[in-house]
Amino acid sequence: MKKIETTLSTLLRDIGAFYIPKLWHFLSVNGIDLGEGKIELQWIFSAYGVKDEIVIYYVLSDYNTPVPSLVSLIPSAIMGEREIVDMFGLTVDGAESGLYLDEDSRTHPLRGES
Amino acid sequence: MKKTIQIPLGSQHISLLEPIRFKFECENEKIIGVDADVGFVHRGVELACTRSFEFKQVGYVVARVCGLCAITHSLSYTLAVEKLLGYVANDRIKYLRMLMVELDRIHSHMLCLAHTAENAGFEALFMQIMGDRELIMDVQEAISGNRVQFDYISIGGVNRDLTPELVALTHKNLGLLSEKIDALIGLFDNNWSLSLKYKGVGVLSLEEAYTYNALGPLARAAGLATDVRAETSDFPYEALGYTMILESTGDIHARNFVRLREIVNSIAMCRNIIENLPIGEIQEKAKGKPNGEAVVRVEAPRGELFYLVRGSGQNMLDRVRIKTPTFSAIPAMMEVFKGAEYADAPAILASFDPCMSCTAK
Amino acid sequence: MKFFTPFRKKSPWVLHYNAGSCNGCDIEILAALGPKFDLERFGVINTGNPKQSDIFLVTGPVTYRSRERLVELYSQIPEPKVVVAVGSCTATGGVFRGMYNVEDGIDRYIPVDVYVPGCASSPQLIIDALVKGLEVLEAKSKEIEKPYKLFGAIETIANKLSRLNMATKVGQNEKD
Ligand code: SF4
Repeated sequence: MKKIETTLSTLLRDIGAFYIPKLWHFLSVNGIDLGEGKIELQWIFSAYGVKDEIVIYYVLSDYNTPVPSLVSLIPSAIMGEREIVDMFGLTVDGAESGLYLDEDSRTHPLRGES
Repeated sequence: MKKTIQIPLGSQHISLLEPIRFKFECENEKIIGVDADVGFVHRGVELACTRSFEFKQVGYVVARVCGLCAITHSLSYTLAVEKLLGYVANDRIKYLRMLMVELDRIHSHMLCLAHTAENAGFEALFMQIMGDRELIMDVQEAISGNRVQFDYISIGGVNRDLTPELVALTHKNLGLLSEKIDALIGLFDNNWSLSLKYKGVGVLSLEEAYTYNALGPLARAAGLATDVRAETSDFPYEALGYTMILESTGDIHARNFVRLREIVNSIAMCRNIIENLPIGEIQEKAKGKPNGEAVVRVEAPRGELFYLVRGSGQNMLDRVRIKTPTFSAIPAMMEVFKGAEYADAPAILASFDPCMSCTAK
Repeated sequence: MKFFTPFRKKSPWVLHYNAGSCNGCDIEILAALGPKFDLERFGVINTGNPKQSDIFLVTGPVTYRSRERLVELYSQIPEPKVVVAVGSCTATGGVFRGMYNVEDGIDRYIPVDVYVPGCASSPQLIIDALVKGLEVLEAKSKEIEKPYKLFGAIETIANKLSRLNMATKVGQNEKD
């Protein structure tokens, strides 16, 4: 497992340079609440045909900064992005809320109490 | 005037085992657009894993994410926690865990094949495969004590041992099953009406499989060589006769064939496991509290299952991230629907073997 | 009439709905319909159509989004109907109890006649539950067929014809 830190503004450029569809399998977008309004966002990749090769790009951010969307590079990222929109209440451009939660149900369950 | 019509499928439908709602945008019989609502069974397991349950209990909670691949869920979680505790299971435990995972794969694949047959209008074949599947369910019940949701794996080992009688039963049933599977392979290959429903229908090309990150049997049917069993070193799969099954056409027929041949491969692996079962304890002490971050990938029947567990040395974990196979396969599935006939939609859907309980958690 | 009594028990058609279960109980329902346990020998058929069903098999603790569908399906089944809650989580919420998107059991939304325990409940239990459900169904259909006495007694109060008790309300004659 390799963890690479990046920032939200350079994310698209970094992943664009790194991601080759035939080499890397995009696993998921993940968010981890760090408390006090901070969140760690992770983009996880694994290599095809290589043992135990996982690369995680991560960003330390907060809940108010909009997150760039990776859909232009990786079309299947839309599911993970819609999920973090629902679960953490982040804004990702192009990803609508409502994958799991309805308007009137509990909002952003994984977001920590700040 | 609008040229297209919208046809809904679901959320409750005879061909669906679980609630999912599709909105097909159709032009005459052709589907040109799909919209899916997959969140009907969202329960909130991820939050409960970190708020309501201690890390020792979570293994049994995540098993309830999905009943079909419950064992892979508890296995991935357990592996992740064991990594954090710095515990490595002995060979007997590893073999027993693998045995249950492979048995689970066999019965899950058979359920999917039965479902595809039913949705192609072949009710008798559905019944036949469901009947053959009971052979595996019997083995599972005898080994673990329950047919589904057997909570076989716990942190530090497995909960029941394999006795010589069980080995004999497993051998007998696997033998019976492998004859039946051979007959099924012939049937799926040669039956004319099945081939009309399956061949060339619902095609996912290799390019699309790469672009949309397809996984599991869906990807292998399109020729994309990805299988977590070959990409991780947690279990000695290669030593036990694992081979990757690949097809190239990417249609329903290919997906059925990947499943059938994987069943054959899994039967061979199960036989190898019970013949070469090492001696050792089945339950060991794994001490400590999970501290740090661990990722685990396990090949579930539908593809790659991913767990990320982060703990900070307490009884409660900080984060349990569950990424299930169907969840990431949905964009690829949507792609397959486009251009297909509406009448084929239930059969195509069944051939993906979607698992909504997994997707929505 | 004794001769006809066995035939009055009908072959119940079931409607199955997953209201947020983990699939475990759903596949056990499928297995119960399959050849080994063979519910179909009793005439039980899984229909996808609520309007043709008698028994409503529900699994799952009712998630927030599926609750409307659950009630909708229930109300579309014609009377008499029987609701069977399959699995622990359907009865009480089970392992999902208290999760944020879960409503803790289907009896918060629709009346349940038979509860099946177990996580996952075994096909044998599901068959037992359906047999139990048949009894309930029979009782309910008898209840429906019972004619209500619409006209009450004609009474005279103080030598005058009284219309006070001439028509009875539904359920007023339940005791007799
Ligand atoms: S009772 Fe258990 S096995 Fe059945 S649906 Fe609920 S969680 Fe799954």
